[in-house]
Amino acid sequence: MTRHIKMNSVDNAEIVIAGNGIAGLTAAIEARRLAPDKRIVIITDQNHPTINTPALKQFAIDKLTREQLLAYPAGTERAQRIHVINARVEEIHAQQNFVCLTGGRGFGYESLLIATGSVATGLPQNLPGRDFDGILTLHRLNDYLDMRRRLSEIEDAVVVGGGPHAIETVVCLLYWGIRVHWLIRSDTFFPSTLDRPASDMVLERIRRAGAKVYTQTEVIGVVGRVGSVNGVVTNQHQFLPCQLVLVCTGTTPVTTLATHCDLPMKCMRGILVDDQLRSSVRSIYAAGDVAAIRDPQSGEYAPRAQWYAAVLQGRIAAAAMAGSAVHEESFGVPWHATRLGELSLLTVGNPFQWRYTATTLTDDSKGSYRRVSIVDDRLVGYLSLGPSQPDGLAIKKLIDEGHSIRHIEKALLKGKFDARKYFSHQRSYAAQYMVHTGKLPAPDALEAPHQSQTQVGTLRETGPLTSSDKAITQNVAMNRVNTDPLYEVHVQNALDTLAQQKTIVFFEENESLFFESGLAPNQPKQRPSELPCVIDSTLVALPSNGSRRNSGNLWSYSEKLPAVKARPKNSQFIIFPRSDKKEIGRTQERKHPSSSLWAYTEKHAAVKKGH
Amino acid sequence: MLHKTLPQIAQELHACIGCNECLLACPAVTGSVSIDVLNRETLSGPISVPVARFARACYQCSACVAPCPVGLHRDAMMMWLKVRMLRSGWGE
Repeated sequence: MTRHIKMNSVDNAEIVIAGNGIAGLTAAIEARRLAPDKRIVIITDQNHPTINTPALKQFAIDKLTREQLLAYPAGTERAQRIHVINARVEEIHAQQNFVCLTGGRGFGYESLLIATGSVATGLPQNLPGRDFDGILTLHRLNDYLDMRRRLSEIEDAVVVGGGPHAIETVVCLLYWGIRVHWLIRSDTFFPSTLDRPASDMVLERIRRAGAKVYTQTEVIGVVGRVGSVNGVVTNQHQFLPCQLVLVCTGTTPVTTLATHCDLPMKCMRGILVDDQLRSSVRSIYAAGDVAAIRDPQSGEYAPRAQWYAAVLQGRIAAAAMAGSAVHEESFGVPWHATRLGELSLLTVGNPFQWRYTATTLTDDSKGSYRRVSIVDDRLVGYLSLGPSQPDGLAIKKLIDEGHSIRHIEKALLKGKFDARKYFSHQRSYAAQYMVHTGKLPAPDALEAPHQSQTQVGTLRETGPLTSSDKAITQNVAMNRVNTDPLYEVHVQNALDTLAQQKTIVFFEENESLFFESGLAPNQPKQRPSELPCVIDSTLVALPSNGSRRNSGNLWSYSEKLPAVKARPKNSQFIIFPRSDKKEIGRTQERKHPSSSLWAYTEKHAAVKKGH
Repeated sequence: MLHKTLPQIAQELHACIGCNECLLACPAVTGSVSIDVLNRETLSGPISVPVARFARACYQCSACVAPCPVGLHRDAMMMWLKVRMLRSGWGE
């Protein structure tokens, strides 16, 4: 903090956003909507408007023009009265609520959002030859423009990295007819997410497409000729001639501002934030790649460097900065979907995290691979690899809301889960329940109304820097619901009645196409003790205490959409300590080519035997 | 046909990465409709003439669904856009 501040040039705004990536711009637009009169300023040193960065790979193969990359129509900032300052935020003076820009100019704020994104990790600093021309990282628009300019001169290229970004780059180069050498440090592709069968499937496809894949191989030096790349040397004592080296070894959050703040800001693999994106410093928020949010399954803080996560975080941060009381969305579990050549990859949750505690079913029929991780009858992790992309957001909803998958397990495993049909039936069940009981259904009533069931859920505080984990096992018997074919008539009657009682909030003109049910906003929730209970259970008690979060609350969709209201508790997951494995039961990880459910049989048998 | 609710549509629109694959696969797309404008007008605000023309031309063939790299449902979004058009008087 030795910089001299030009105090006479201090300007200010209520909401200041550092960075104009998608998280920053989304936050600005949402804040404008929520706070029409506040002054909103984006400070960025980027020389172009916000773009759809995931679409850069389409730009790389000339499927998109630069204009088509724009995330919002040109002129959006001006139309939304969002001021854009082309400068870099150098320091934060949190005690006096102002930031210091390039050149020593001060800028005051009431709320500050750090949305500075991430940078490509690149090759190690001490790697010989790392500064030759022709070594690129592909992260920003300028990187892709640079690569496209070079493509006509390239015959051989080396791609370094073992994740989705690397394979997307390989596919791009193959598209342009370039010979590709792909170096992967691990012995499998994307080892943090894919198991070996899935990795083998991907690598086999990419080899067939023409790439040379080198596993357990790293670059130990780059050889140049007159300043340009001429080849790389690997740890396998190979020399691979090439004119281009593309480094796809991940990204690192830009947390410089956290260290250049006059108050200590908690930072570990990103700036630690809570569910409302608040950092540990008052009035300072973080969103996008730079923010480390808590994973409800693992409890660990980590950035989610994905498009959808950045958009959502921008909206939530905007609500918090604008002083809006509303926010109904929560981050939930990680979700990642992308195309890997001919294959579509989807991961929801952390499938590998549950390898010791969950029942794992796999299916590799019809050129696809799916891995389903289940604890009791709840989905906790999902991996799909195949020619078609499942409805990932619906599967994420199943996990986030803790739906029972008893009746859709096989469909999930076979990749035939019809989310529209499933959730439509859920709404019908809720309506039926209202017709036959005259009551609004508790959220759990939506899950399997035809039979009694045992439900297990947990609740975890998601405060940023608090960690009280609570869990409870609760057995709930659901009343059998008559499946009268005339229920639609009854539903309409019930809706009319309930509307007169003013217990249901109907949507505004542009909100309601289909009826969604669940708890009305003003309806008091039943406590667990008031619900009918089944004493005997085939489930083993889970090792925690606390109250169970109601799951499947479809009313979360009923409020005005952009409404943003912090949900105090948003996780139903239990983290099993390794020492509790015996209590929980043996982990079963088997391959089920026919997707039979015999894993359950063994599991229940083990429980009966008292294991 | 079973469709998605508005909150689900909004969630999918927020997850759209703007790769344009859905429009490239569309046999009915007319004129120059950009994905950012289409996304914005699907959800709220006034509907421009090119978007309205495109929505009218869409016959829900679902050719746009399979190419989406993140598994979104442009057909459901288009259905919602059609509903918005009807409500705002474009269908009259």
